[in-house]
Amino acid sequence: MNCEVCQLKELEVEHFEIREVLRCILHTIVFHRALGLVRPKDVDLELFEITYVQCGDVELEKKIDEKIDHFISWVEKHPNKKSQICLSFYEVKSKQPFWFANKTERLYWEQWYVNLNVTQHPKHHSSKSHHTKVVVDPGESAIEERSSRRAMVEASLREVLFQIIKFVNEKKDHVPPISEGVIYFPYEITIPSSSDSAFGMDMIKRMLHSGHPTMLS
Amino acid sequence: MEMDREPGKLEQIVSQFRSKILHVILESRVPSLHHQQQESLSLSRVRKTDKWFNLVLGDRPPALENLNFSLRNLLDPMVIDIILVRHGPCSSSVDNLYAPSAAAAGPSTETVIERWVVQYDCPRVFATPSGAEAAVSYKKIYKKCILLLRSLYSQMRLLPAYRIFRQLSLLSQTYNFDLIYKVSSFSHPFSREEEDGMKEYNFTPVEAPPGCLCVSVTYRTTLSDFNLEPLVSLPPKIITDYVGSPTTDPMRSFPSSERGAHAISFPSRGLRSPSSIPFQRPHSWSSGFHRGIPPTKTQSLAGSPPAYRTSCKPYDISSPPADLFGNRIQNHRVSTLQQATAYDEYKLSPPFSPSASPSTPTYLTGANPLLTRHCSETAPVTIPLPLTGRSTRYLSPNSSDPSRHSLPPLSPRSSKHDASSQESPSGIRSYRKIEALRAGESPSGLSNLYSAPKVVRDSKDDSGRFSGLLSSSGSPRIGFSRSSSRLSFQDDMDDCEFSCPFDVDDVDVSDSSSQNTESKKASEFTAQSNLVGKKSQDAAVGILVHLLRTAPPLRQDSSCYSTHSLKTEYDGGVGMASGFFLPRKTADALEELNSYREMKDLLLSKSGTQAVRKEGMK
Repeated sequence: MNCEVCQLKELEVEHFEIREVLRCILHTIVFHRALGLVRPKDVDLELFEITYVQCGDVELEKKIDEKIDHFISWVEKHPNKKSQICLSFYEVKSKQPFWFANKTERLYWEQWYVNLNVTQHPKHHSSKSHHTKVVVDPGESAIEERSSRRAMVEASLREVLFQIIKFVNEKKDHVPPISEGVIYFPYEITIPSSSDSAFGMDMIKRMLHSGHPTMLS
Repeated sequence: MEMDREPGKLEQIVSQFRSKILHVILESRVPSLHHQQQESLSLSRVRKTDKWFNLVLGDRPPALENLNFSLRNLLDPMVIDIILVRHGPCSSSVDNLYAPSAAAAGPSTETVIERWVVQYDCPRVFATPSGAEAAVSYKKIYKKCILLLRSLYSQMRLLPAYRIFRQLSLLSQTYNFDLIYKVSSFSHPFSREEEDGMKEYNFTPVEAPPGCLCVSVTYRTTLSDFNLEPLVSLPPKIITDYVGSPTTDPMRSFPSSERGAHAISFPSRGLRSPSSIPFQRPHSWSSGFHRGIPPTKTQSLAGSPPAYRTSCKPYDISSPPADLFGNRIQNHRVSTLQQATAYDEYKLSPPFSPSASPSTPTYLTGANPLLTRHCSETAPVTIPLPLTGRSTRYLSPNSSDPSRHSLPPLSPRSSKHDASSQESPSGIRSYRKIEALRAGESPSGLSNLYSAPKVVRDSKDDSGRFSGLLSSSGSPRIGFSRSSSRLSFQDDMDDCEFSCPFDVDDVDVSDSSSQNTESKKASEFTAQSNLVGKKSQDAAVGILVHLLRTAPPLRQDSSCYSTHSLKTEYDGGVGMASGFFLPRKTADALEELNSYREMKDLLLSKSGTQAVRKEGMK
């Protein structure tokens, strides 16, 4: 099985926008991969005029929020850095090598890379703050700049969502069959670790597990 | 052929797929259908139709079922047009709010902003897969249909028309546009200029041998060209004659004053009766002037002064303020019972702004308690200060013109903004007295007033007076007002009423007219006088006090006169009793005065003799 990889368009966001942007993207992806019986839940973003869809699973929502929190913590420790979050879907395969005990392995069949460029130092404001970075010259120009910047981020986010939809439409064959009673495929969210090298090692390990890594543009 | 082996399965998938897509599109474009879905989604149960493609959408609207029936030929395309209907300029007027049909009848333009085309594209000639392949095929087809529906569901929320749909879904607002849909098996091609503003997106077809399911959407990239705006739901109405507005008639700005007057009139009715019990407030600080106030004075006191009455009149005649509180005011004036019921309304009513009426400061100074401003209906007015000299100052206007206003100013204390919740003990005492005295006066009055304390607590109408009267502490303030009002009129009435500074609690001091009593007092006085020489100076003073106490009033009824002999033995010049029984003339009074002087000298001399005796004894 091929592992389809989708590199989403890089988004330039501010610290306080991370949570909403990540929620929107991650939930949209999972919704398209939650092929079990779902009751869709529309969620309106607060910062942007965008409505995305969740699959309505509370446990999933909690796990995604936890990962987002970890990511935000990492961003605070590594400010002004380009970061990447990887959402992977895998299948659990049990290996039965005759000389080893039963061992399960994960076969990643799809990976989504969310690329973020956090442009502002997190200490200047809280994650839930709606204020932008410190503006040297506050006034109308700052407000206009802020609104234009906000519009740009919204447009970029909309593009990312369209990109997800397009990818979901174009790539269907690699999706495993739907298991009975399973709402969504097993997934894994990988955030950058404390060191970049470790993050790279995680990627290598994943590639080894997947067997046939294919980087599709 | 696959369909020959499984004649109904593919058809079922295609049919359900079309229905599901139609459901997804309409529920996110047609507000009415969306609301229906929301209601059905609230139910936790999963319907059979929800299980198709694992997407719970709720009940399918009946119209959708009809559409499915009319488009039962699966090979025909299903074209869903989402049309934006814009009402003409004349339709957007306020009048059309009251005649919705007029809006529909007005000129309107329709524009297709989205066109969805769902089609099962099936070639005429196709290969026949085997059974096993077909089974796998159905599962894959079904899975891919699920994926397509997921992506379509998400995309519905990203297209520009979704914003319009959300606007229309707000029930609290009406707009000059609307979204309608049209489902047909054919479509009119777009014009050139229509196509210019539109973009097409084709979903990846789902292979469903022998054909494939194709879904495409042509949509307007932007809807800002259309003048889409909410309709004015209500014409803006600026209420300028609200209570407390500086631009309004000062009298009218305090409708509570009239109401307060009316409310006060309840107890005053009882007071107006001539047979009402004279109000007595045996309190030391009242200086006793309050005794024996005739009810008529009380009536004028409790009633509204002409100033208030004039303000009452226009309020009575004119319609209440147009605001809700005005209506409440109206209700408030009807009766105390209604006041009681209207209390809750008052509590909910928006607070009056502090009256900026120019007349307010005047009232605040205490001249007109009915117009005393109370900025907040929730803040009780404090208990009036005791009637000290300061209070007297406030009362002096009352005394000068008792008809001006009927109530003593609560404002002396209210203007101080004391903690009104604390009752002054004197106030409580006076209240109790008043209540006891008034029990027979007007049970319907005061009792009503007391029974509906809440009614006026927060009301601005009483201008603070009733809010002061009936605050959380309730009635004691009434007592204060009453007493102080009586005090004010006492100033005017300071006539022949006997007022004795020492008569604090003894109410019948001046009423003794019994001859026997006088004689008894006289004899008692004589007996006591015999002991003057033997007792100390203090005792002498006590005797003098008693003498003065028992002394009859200057204006004595002739029946009280007695020719009782004054020839009583007395040691000293204390035999003044004779003076009590002589006709009262100036000469008599002078003689009496002289006798008192003699007595005084005697007392002094005796005290000196006693002191000498004591020294001698030593």
